[in-house]
Amino acid sequence: MNTQDQHGRGRPNPGRGLSLRRPRLIAASGAAALALSAGLATPLNPAPRQAEAADGKKVLTVAVAQSVDSLSPFLATRLVSTSLHRLLYEYLTNYDPKDARAIPGLATKWTPSADKLTWTYTIRSDSTWSDGKQATAEDAAWTFNKMMTDDGAATANGSFVANFRKVTAPSPTELVIELKKPQATMTALDVPIVPRHVWEKVTDFSEFNNDKDFPVVGNGPFVLTGYKPDSYVRLEPNKDFWRGAPKFDELVFKYYKDGDAAVAALQKGEVSFVSGLTPAQSAALENQENVKVNDAPGRRFYALATNPGARSKNGERFGDGHPSLLDQRVRHALFMAVDRKTIVDRVFQGHAVEGEGYIPPRFSQYFWKPSASQELAYDPAKAAQLLDEAGYKKNGDGKRVGKDGKPITYRVLCHATDPNDKAVGQYLDEWWGKLGIGVTLNCLDNVTDPWLAGQYDLAFDGWSVNPDPDFVLSIHTCAALPATPEETGATDNFICDKKYDDLYSRQLAEYDPAKRADIVKQMESRLYDTGYMNVMAYPNAVEAYRTDQIKSIRTMPEDAGNIYGQDGYWSWWSAVPADSGESSGGSGSTGVVIGVAAGVVVLAGAGVFLAMRRRSTAEDRE
Amino acid sequence: MTTEATPPAAKAGPRALARQRRRDSAVRFWKRYRTHRAGLLGLAALALFALVALTAPLTVGSDVSSVTGAPGSPMEPPSGEFPLGTDRFGRDLLGLLVWGSRVSLLVGLLAAVLSVAIGALVGITAGHFHGAYATVMMRITDWFLVMPTLVLAIALATVMSRSLGTIVLAIGVTSWPTTARLVRAQTLAVEARPYIERAKALGGGHWHIMSRHVLPNVMPLVLAQTTLMISSSVLAEATLAFLGLGDPTLVSWGGLLQDAREAGAVSSGDWWYLVPPGIAIALVALAFTLCGRAVESVLNPRLGVAR
Repeated sequence: MNTQDQHGRGRPNPGRGLSLRRPRLIAASGAAALALSAGLATPLNPAPRQAEAADGKKVLTVAVAQSVDSLSPFLATRLVSTSLHRLLYEYLTNYDPKDARAIPGLATKWTPSADKLTWTYTIRSDSTWSDGKQATAEDAAWTFNKMMTDDGAATANGSFVANFRKVTAPSPTELVIELKKPQATMTALDVPIVPRHVWEKVTDFSEFNNDKDFPVVGNGPFVLTGYKPDSYVRLEPNKDFWRGAPKFDELVFKYYKDGDAAVAALQKGEVSFVSGLTPAQSAALENQENVKVNDAPGRRFYALATNPGARSKNGERFGDGHPSLLDQRVRHALFMAVDRKTIVDRVFQGHAVEGEGYIPPRFSQYFWKPSASQELAYDPAKAAQLLDEAGYKKNGDGKRVGKDGKPITYRVLCHATDPNDKAVGQYLDEWWGKLGIGVTLNCLDNVTDPWLAGQYDLAFDGWSVNPDPDFVLSIHTCAALPATPEETGATDNFICDKKYDDLYSRQLAEYDPAKRADIVKQMESRLYDTGYMNVMAYPNAVEAYRTDQIKSIRTMPEDAGNIYGQDGYWSWWSAVPADSGESSGGSGSTGVVIGVAAGVVVLAGAGVFLAMRRRSTAEDRE
Repeated sequence: MTTEATPPAAKAGPRALARQRRRDSAVRFWKRYRTHRAGLLGLAALALFALVALTAPLTVGSDVSSVTGAPGSPMEPPSGEFPLGTDRFGRDLLGLLVWGSRVSLLVGLLAAVLSVAIGALVGITAGHFHGAYATVMMRITDWFLVMPTLVLAIALATVMSRSLGTIVLAIGVTSWPTTARLVRAQTLAVEARPYIERAKALGGGHWHIMSRHVLPNVMPLVLAQTTLMISSSVLAEATLAFLGLGDPTLVSWGGLLQDAREAGAVSSGDWWYLVPPGIAIALVALAFTLCGRAVESVLNPRLGVAR
C-alpha cells in the first residue's frame, strides 16, 4: 500500500515563497527581482491551459510540489504517484468514501474459502481499457504473477504478494488467489491492475517508467495524456468509466515547488486547488472570497525516528548511528524531553493533534494510546534522571558524555523542504540542550541517501496511513530490512524486533476484524515501548480550493475528510465544475504584462540615460 | 602614494618618519573624505549598525532567539509590547532583527576579507611573476569570473556542512576574481615604475618587491574594494540564507526572510515579518557602498567628485 510518503519525501510541500499580490512588500524586502522573475516564468512555462481554456473546456488545476518518482505502478511509492495511479487504473477493491470499508472496484464480489487460503474474486465485465479492449481477470492474474516472479515488478507492492502461492484466471470474470498462509489484507490489495496486452512488451520492470507513450492505456476514471517532470501531469476523463465519467473536461496537476507561489496562483484563480497550507496561509485564505479552506484531521503521523543501528538481513551492520541510542532508556529520555503540546500549539498552530500511538485517531478502529503508566509524558527532570541511570552523566561543561568520553551531539536528519522539520528542530535543540545533549540539524533536500546508508542518529519521519494499516506496520518488520547493505529494503528505519514481528504475522493471519484490531494495538504498544518511533503529532490536512471553479468536491471521509491524497479517486472523480467558470484568470496575465511593461520602461530609461551620458562625455572621448 | 618622498627630517629616525608620513596621509585622506556628503552618511549609518551589533548582547541578549522561551503568540502584528510584531514562534522580531545583525555583519565582513585576500594574493603574484604562472592564474581567474557566483556558492554550501564557516567560505572563494583582476592591473602599473627597477638592481628579491613596494601601492585599491565587497557579501549571505542554505538555528537577516517565506508570510500579508530584515539588508549594503565609493574617489581623484 503505497500512498505513503517514504521518509517524508512525499510530504506535500508546505508554503514558502513570494506572492505578486503585494509587490510593495516584496520590493521592500529586496526580493522584487525574484518576484518579477517568478511572474515571468509562468507564461514561459510550457504548462497546459489553465483554469478554463478558450474553447470552454472545464479544467481542474491542482497545485502539487512533490516530484513523481515513477509513473509505473510497479515502482511508484510517493503520494503523488500513487494518487495518480488511483485515477489511472482500477484496483480489485476500493474504499468507501464514508467509512473506508472495502467496496467493489474491478472486482464486484470476493469470497474466501473455508480454510481461508483461497480467495475467489468476481471481475466486472463493464470495465474496458482506454484502447477499447475488455479488462478481464486475465489482466489481474498477469499483474500479480508478474510481481511474484519478477523482482523488478515487486519493488513497490511486493509485500502484498509475498504470501501468494498461485494466482489464476479460470474465466475472464473469475480470479483465484491461493495463499501460503491466511492474509487479512485480501480486500485491501492496493495494487493497480495493468493491461496485460500493453505491459507484456516491457522487458525490464525496474527501469520502465511508463512515461513515453501517451495516452497511457488504463481503465480508471481518468486517462493520462501528458507528463513533463516537475512541470505538469495532464489527465482527461475516461468517458466509458463504469462508475460514471468525471465532470471536468481536463485534470491538470501543475507544479509549484514554492508553497507561497501556489497560494498566489490560487488567489489569482490560476489553480483551483492547493494543499499543504501553513497556518498563516490558511488564516489568510479563510477571509478570501471564492476560496474554501478545508482543515481536516489528517491521515499522517509526524514522528521522530531513532537509528536503531542500521543492518541488513544478512546480519551485516552499517551506518554510523550513535551507540548511545541503542539504550532504550536514552531513547525514552529523549522523547520525554519533547513537549508535544508546544509543537502542536506553536509549530502547527492548532492544525494538528498531539501524537500518541502509531496510527492516527482518524482510524478509530486501530487507534491506540499509551496507558498512564506506559506514557512517555513530557518530563525533563525524569528524562535527565533516566540519562544519569543509563550512565550518560554530565561533565564539567554541563554536557553529557558518551561511553567514548566525548560529549554527545546527535545529528538530526531533516527535510530542507519542510519548514515544520526546521521549526521542531529548533525546539529539540533547546529542549535537549537543557538535558546536556547537543543537536546538529542536518537539513537536506534529499535525505534518502544518508537515510538508506544509516548515516543519521535521529530523523524526522512521516507516513500517510491507509484504512488498512498493514503497510505502515510492515515497514518495521525484520523482513523489510535490505538484503545487503548495498540494497534498498522496504524498511523505514531499520527496526527489527522479534516480539513485533510475531505480532505482525499474527495480525496478518487474523480474519476477525475485532481480534485483528486488538493485535494491531498490541503492535503499536510494542513499537511505542521500544522508543524507535516517537510520534509527535498527527498534522491536519489543510487545503483550499476555489468555489468559483469547483462547485462541489467529495472529501474522504465524507464529514471532516481530506481532498488531496485520498485512499480512492473520490475527490477528483466527484468534482463538479462551477457554472460561472472563472472570472479572474486574466489577472495573472495582466500582472505579467504590467511586469514586462515595467521591465521595458526600466530598460528604455537606462538606455536613454546611457546615451545621454555618452553624448555628454562626447568631447572627452577620442 | 605613501611612498612619495617627503622632505627628510634630519633628526628623526626612519620609523618615526614613516609614522609621520602615514599620519599626514591619513589626515589628508580624511580631509578629502569629509567633502563627500554621501560617504559621511554611509559612515554614520555604519557606525550605528556596528554599535547595534556590538551592544546586542547587552540590549537584547541571546535569549531573544530562544524558541522555547518565546514571549508572544505566533505571527502577532506590531503592538506596544512587540514594536515589530512576532515571528512564527512568537519571538520578538525587533529583538531578532538586532540579534541577527551580528551574524549578517560578521559573515559579510569575514567573507569580504577572505575574498579580497584571495583576490589580492592572486592579483599581486600574477602581476609580478610573468610567464606561465601568470597565464595559469589569470585563466583560473577568468574561469571563476564567468561562473555564476551564486550558483557556485550554492553548490559549495550544499556540499559542505551547514555552518557559519561554510557560508563565509562559499562567498569568499567565489567572489574574488574581480579583485584579482583589479589588483593585477594596478600591480603591472606599479611594477613599470623606475624605482622598482632600482630596487631590483639593489638586490631586492620577489618577496621584498611584492611586500614592500607593490602591496603598499595597491593597498588603497584593496581597501576600497573591501568596503564595496562587504555590501555584496552581506547580500550574498542573505541570499544563501533566504534559499535555506544557512544554519537554521542561527538568526540572521536572510534567515528571517527565509523563515517568513516558509511560514507563508508573503501570501498572508504579514508584512512585519518581511519588511524590517529586508530594509536592514538594503541599508547596510547601501551604507557600505556609499563608503566604498567615497573611499574610491578620494584615492583615485581621476574618478571625479560627482561619484
